[in-house]
Amino acid sequence: MSLKKFSELFSDLDSINSTNNKIEVLKNYFLSNDPIDNSWAIYLLTGKSNKRFISGRYLKNLFSQIYEYPQWLIDTCYLKVGDSAEVITLLLKNKTKSRKKKLSNISLNELLSQTIPALSKLNEEDKNLEIKNLWESLPEDNHLIFNKILTGTFRVGVSIGLITKSISKLINIEEEIISHRLMGDFKPSIDSYEFLVNKNINLQELNSKPFPFLLANTIEDKIFKNSINDFQFEWKYDGIRMQLIKRSGNVSLWTRGQELVNESFPELVEKMSYIKDDFVLDGELLVWNFKEQIALDFSLLQKRINRKSPTRSIQIKYPIIFIAYDLLEINGRDIREIKLENRRIELEKYFSKWQIKTENNISDIFKICDLIFPKDWHDASTYKEKSRENNTEGLIIKKKNSIYFSGRKKGIWWKYKVDPMQLDAVLIYAKGGSGRRAGLYTDYSFALWKDKELIKFASAYSGLTNIEIKELDKWIRKNTIEKFGPVRSLKPEMVFEISFEKIQISKRHKSGIAVRFPRITKWRKDKKINDADSLENAYELMKKIS
Amino acid sequence: MRTKQEYLIKYKDGNLYCEIADIWIDPSKPVKKALITHAHFDHFTFGCEEYISTKETAILLKERVGDNIKIKTFEYGEEFKINGINISFHPSGHILGSSQIRFIFAEEKWLISGDFKLQKDQTCKQYEIVKTDYLISECTFGLPIFKWDDANKIANDISKWITNSPEKTSLLFCYSLGKAQRLLKEISQTNFKGNIYSHGSIHKMNNIYRELGIDIKDTIKIENKKKIDELKGNLILLPPSLSKGSYLKNFKNIQTAFASGWMSIRALRKRSGYDKGFAISDHADWDGILEVVKKSEAKNVFFHHGDSEALSKYLVEKESINVLLFGK
Repeated sequence: MSLKKFSELFSDLDSINSTNNKIEVLKNYFLSNDPIDNSWAIYLLTGKSNKRFISGRYLKNLFSQIYEYPQWLIDTCYLKVGDSAEVITLLLKNKTKSRKKKLSNISLNELLSQTIPALSKLNEEDKNLEIKNLWESLPEDNHLIFNKILTGTFRVGVSIGLITKSISKLINIEEEIISHRLMGDFKPSIDSYEFLVNKNINLQELNSKPFPFLLANTIEDKIFKNSINDFQFEWKYDGIRMQLIKRSGNVSLWTRGQELVNESFPELVEKMSYIKDDFVLDGELLVWNFKEQIALDFSLLQKRINRKSPTRSIQIKYPIIFIAYDLLEINGRDIREIKLENRRIELEKYFSKWQIKTENNISDIFKICDLIFPKDWHDASTYKEKSRENNTEGLIIKKKNSIYFSGRKKGIWWKYKVDPMQLDAVLIYAKGGSGRRAGLYTDYSFALWKDKELIKFASAYSGLTNIEIKELDKWIRKNTIEKFGPVRSLKPEMVFEISFEKIQISKRHKSGIAVRFPRITKWRKDKKINDADSLENAYELMKKIS
Repeated sequence: MRTKQEYLIKYKDGNLYCEIADIWIDPSKPVKKALITHAHFDHFTFGCEEYISTKETAILLKERVGDNIKIKTFEYGEEFKINGINISFHPSGHILGSSQIRFIFAEEKWLISGDFKLQKDQTCKQYEIVKTDYLISECTFGLPIFKWDDANKIANDISKWITNSPEKTSLLFCYSLGKAQRLLKEISQTNFKGNIYSHGSIHKMNNIYRELGIDIKDTIKIENKKKIDELKGNLILLPPSLSKGSYLKNFKNIQTAFASGWMSIRALRKRSGYDKGFAISDHADWDGILEVVKKSEAKNVFFHHGDSEALSKYLVEKESINVLLFGK
């Protein structure tokens, strides 16, 4: 019933790796707490409350002020911990011990609906006093949660999918139904929780369920022995795979991760609802350049996916398109058992019908995927190599006579991805990470040769294993030339293979080039720095591509 | 004012060394004469001509280095002389036999803290406050974010962790000497009444502790062919070196935890790869280090074993204590 219970839940979820155990813990929590606290718990766990009441910096300053702690010492601690709320929690330990804990039984509801929102109404002086008072009145075990909520940084390894699964287990109702209920503006209240755990399913909920997605496998050499005519070829887009469902007039948009994302893309939901037929489409959502009919960067799509109820200007700035690959159900008839080539005919037929017959123009948000027709496998490989030009990742190759299986069924769909571009570069700077990587040097900058000088060309922080990160961290500490705040310049000694997706001229960078999605793909311990690539190599690579 | 070359104890080749006595403290390479503060592997090395330590450390050392080493032992507080320097061991509260070492030469006192903690530990002697002019202190946990809970609170958390998962075998990783025995003692005083198994390396140390009069529970030595059902709901103590690699494949349905001071930080806990972390340490926390620095009345302090930058700055600014740097 209390904040204390929620703190325990947090600590449990934080220390359990197994999904099943997490679900069990959540289920038990929901069973033993009252609806209002449960609804707040769901609200917090699903990240719906990331309102920042005060900043991490403010929190640190306040602590420094109240307890006369030097700011630099708090900052040094922060480098080790990587989270302001946690630093202050650790520093608060034993500081408030002797006080009576008046708030040891405060409920999650009271804290979140009254105590914390009330802070915003106070002037700075009163607010500071009240936070100090709360620190002293709340039991120590609750400080972390409290500080995290204050700074809007409450996060735990629980996805919305996990909450969905737990509720689903709790009341024995399919996950898709719960997903549907969790969609929308979940406001913490007794009603919203009771709606969530209602054992009666209404028809609309039943109608929204997606089919299991069919997934592609990485291509194998044996496929090249088959006749090219047995396959359908499509571009492999780098967007979000989705099922677009319209049943009984209601549109739902499901990601492969079983997430219902109607709220992020209201313009698509609206347009599709104008179509007279009911359907289930398998496809990809992208941010699209309509003028050139080309996909835009995935990073732009990210600006859309995490934003619920986007404003009109966001919708215009990041225009989306749904590209349908496949038709799985039409007007209530499940056609997954029909051969792909025939499903494609149906898809084309309905698409042209919708284009003509729908009152509103749908072509500014919806199309079906273009097919490619390579003459032979060599030609297919040429197409694949050209895929960078239209911002795709390669080709998807589908067997024409296949039915729509569920899951990763081998030998039906293949992904034929273009190789990334690579250069061997020298590690020259390292910067401390934050969050889970706090206290380790995990952000790296790499350089290429220009005559006898090393010029920085890319930064990357992914691609190494945890063991490699630790090893490299040790090396970094021993081979630092200079420290500038959190950044260290390093003895040029280590060579890494850096892979990236795109290379282009950039005036903003000293190197004159910019690369997209740089990541470490290999620690080239076998190479000396003189073996690393030069900027000239990079320019050549750029020429070759364009 | 003396220059650092004239310090009684200095840093030489990465080790503490007293030139006048020609003696090394916890050397990492073979030397003629070595004073050993305690028997953890990073505090001694094989092949020294002569070792000097407390009686308990000597026994543990022999177990680790071999019976044939030449080793001289002294009681806590007993003074002995080398080249005119009076030397004595004093309890440091780190593990059984662990000591601080005091040097007195020409009325100047030097104290090497060794690894130490102030917290209560039922398996070794309590830290003794020793006054000194010069203090050489460890500072493994030299930041104020490190504040230890009482060991019995941690033991209760461990007990709860085990009993909450009766279907699982709980593997608790901890250093085989000192931490394991301290945990064993504390856990056996909690509500957890299941079996406690220990790995051979820990089992061996348990036996030595008992022989030396430390009252700890008898554990069952874990063998590879134990039946799974026998182990569920029980606790197994293992050294951290076994947490990676194939050893864990001997067990089914396990939960793992690591007992270490570093586990107080969430990022480190998450990165460690264990399911759970218990923040219990045999080193002093921030307050512990400050207390020792103050109570020792040292005018000059050196730090080693750890990141001392923040701690030094704090002592200089807040406590006006002279913190010196070793010329390494």
